[in-house]
Amino acid sequence: MLTSTDTGFPEFSEPFRSTGFTDFTEGWVRRFAASAAATEAELTALDQQVGDGDFGANLVAGLQAALRRLGAPGVPASPPAVPASPAVPAPPAWPLEAAASAFLDEVGGTSGPLFGLLLQEIAVSVAAGDGPPAVALATGAGGGLAAIQRVGEAAVGDKTLVDALAPACDALAAQARTAPGDPSAAAAEGARAAWGGVRSTARFTARRGRASYLGERAAGVPDPGAVGIALLFASAATTVPTLAPYLG
Amino acid sequence: MGLYFVNAADELVGDALAGFARAHADRVRWDERDGYVQALKPAPTRRVGLVSGGGSGHEPLHTGYVGTGMLDAACPGRVFASPHNRQIFAASRAVAGDGGVLHVVKNYTGDKINFGIAAERLAREGIACGRVLVDDDVATESDEVATGRRGTGATVLVEKILGAAADTGMGLAELVELGTDVAGRCRSLAVASGAHTSPATGRPAFDLPPGAIEYGVGIHGERARRTLAERSLRDLAEDMVGSLADSLDLGPRARVVLLVNGLGGVTRLELYAVLGEVARLLDKRGATPVRTLVGDYVTALDMRGFSLTLLAADDATLGYYDAPAAAPAWCGRAG
Repeated sequence: MLTSTDTGFPEFSEPFRSTGFTDFTEGWVRRFAASAAATEAELTALDQQVGDGDFGANLVAGLQAALRRLGAPGVPASPPAVPASPAVPAPPAWPLEAAASAFLDEVGGTSGPLFGLLLQEIAVSVAAGDGPPAVALATGAGGGLAAIQRVGEAAVGDKTLVDALAPACDALAAQARTAPGDPSAAAAEGARAAWGGVRSTARFTARRGRASYLGERAAGVPDPGAVGIALLFASAATTVPTLAPYLG
Repeated sequence: MGLYFVNAADELVGDALAGFARAHADRVRWDERDGYVQALKPAPTRRVGLVSGGGSGHEPLHTGYVGTGMLDAACPGRVFASPHNRQIFAASRAVAGDGGVLHVVKNYTGDKINFGIAAERLAREGIACGRVLVDDDVATESDEVATGRRGTGATVLVEKILGAAADTGMGLAELVELGTDVAGRCRSLAVASGAHTSPATGRPAFDLPPGAIEYGVGIHGERARRTLAERSLRDLAEDMVGSLADSLDLGPRARVVLLVNGLGGVTRLELYAVLGEVARLLDKRGATPVRTLVGDYVTALDMRGFSLTLLAADDATLGYYDAPAAAPAWCGRAG
């Protein structure tokens, strides 16, 4: 049930609470897929104003490929080499690895593989298992931001997905210090910061990416890649049915 | 489809690569599943794999320079589109030596990002990966543009020189240093009297009034910043050589490698005339073209135009340039 808070962003009154980290990561990927499917038309409409219009389709395609790698809904995620078994739980990184490789290998363009890079860094941190869940999330997201900036050279203010990811990483890191065991709460804080970043991109003139060719004409439109980042973190806690309340 | 001889527009690149591999089956293989062309007979002394790639439509770049003494692999994208990071990742893994793999990347945003993503994946697998960025086009030299000079004709020279250096057993860090130095000594400039034919529409990609020349085109049919009135080759060459020599800061006793490159729709008759004019102008400046290449090396489909590339060379550069190589589109010594 949607409620409104003083931050201006709608919140779910009963966010998803995981019973274990593996449930959390698999549910996260599945809800990200559901969020992308629910908002594809809105993402397409945004990208038609500032890009070439295929961002929504690419995001959905990457997540559909991730779901195929994960198996049918309701089936526990497991690496293909290790049959699912109640006695041998799937490692928590696997759903993220499945999503990462789906984005890296099966999605065209540039923003899709950049999502793959972010998911891969988070998966690596989770797989390393050398810290509580929220710490692994924060470390992985920070590694993903660094990799994306090495590759794409975008800085905060260039009107790209970095404008959502950088504040999300800061929020995740802060949350990892105060509540290291709760990945849902960390992701929710990351999402809140990311939506703030999304709103900031509407004010910027693009310096990188496809929108940079449009100059002032892209003003007022939030960056679709930044929206995708906010959807990613928001989906850790809940499915996002529509973008409108978040875009301000 | 107009002018093109194709089965279907989206099948052209795949059909061409199958034919290319058939034509040069003694030197290369085409990995259709992962999308790269690989050299069959790299020098056994080579410790670092050389990988390049970029959009198709620039033939013989990139696949034509795969072979002994040049690239170990090339990843062709769709026409004028960057290859996918998966192609680059797979090719790099296939050809990496014990010294890792080196990417030769033209300065275009899509190429940089896709090679960059592949490099991140290689690092994740523990494969050392370096990059040499080629950015030679003086038409895009400006303090106002953050993206810098485009990478064009110099790519061929960088790949030849790095290939010869890699064959000596040189390590990754030294190759990056050498390649960066060589790329920094290269400048190019391209002009066109007619656009390429758009594969999508079968029509010219842009219209030029009769007698107009686009001065400073790229290799994807981007329009230039300047349109000039028709002039003699002598006047045109003088402008171009002046821009290149100024940007390179060519001294009076400089030795240069000169590449006169057709963009796909210009006759050899014209290209040799260009070479004659350019060589004469360089001689006049005291900058001797000690090696020359003439022909279609880096094209833009059927664009009616040509580019000039100058490389300010030293003894080591010329030694690598002269080393034998057997890639399908290299016309130097075969050994």
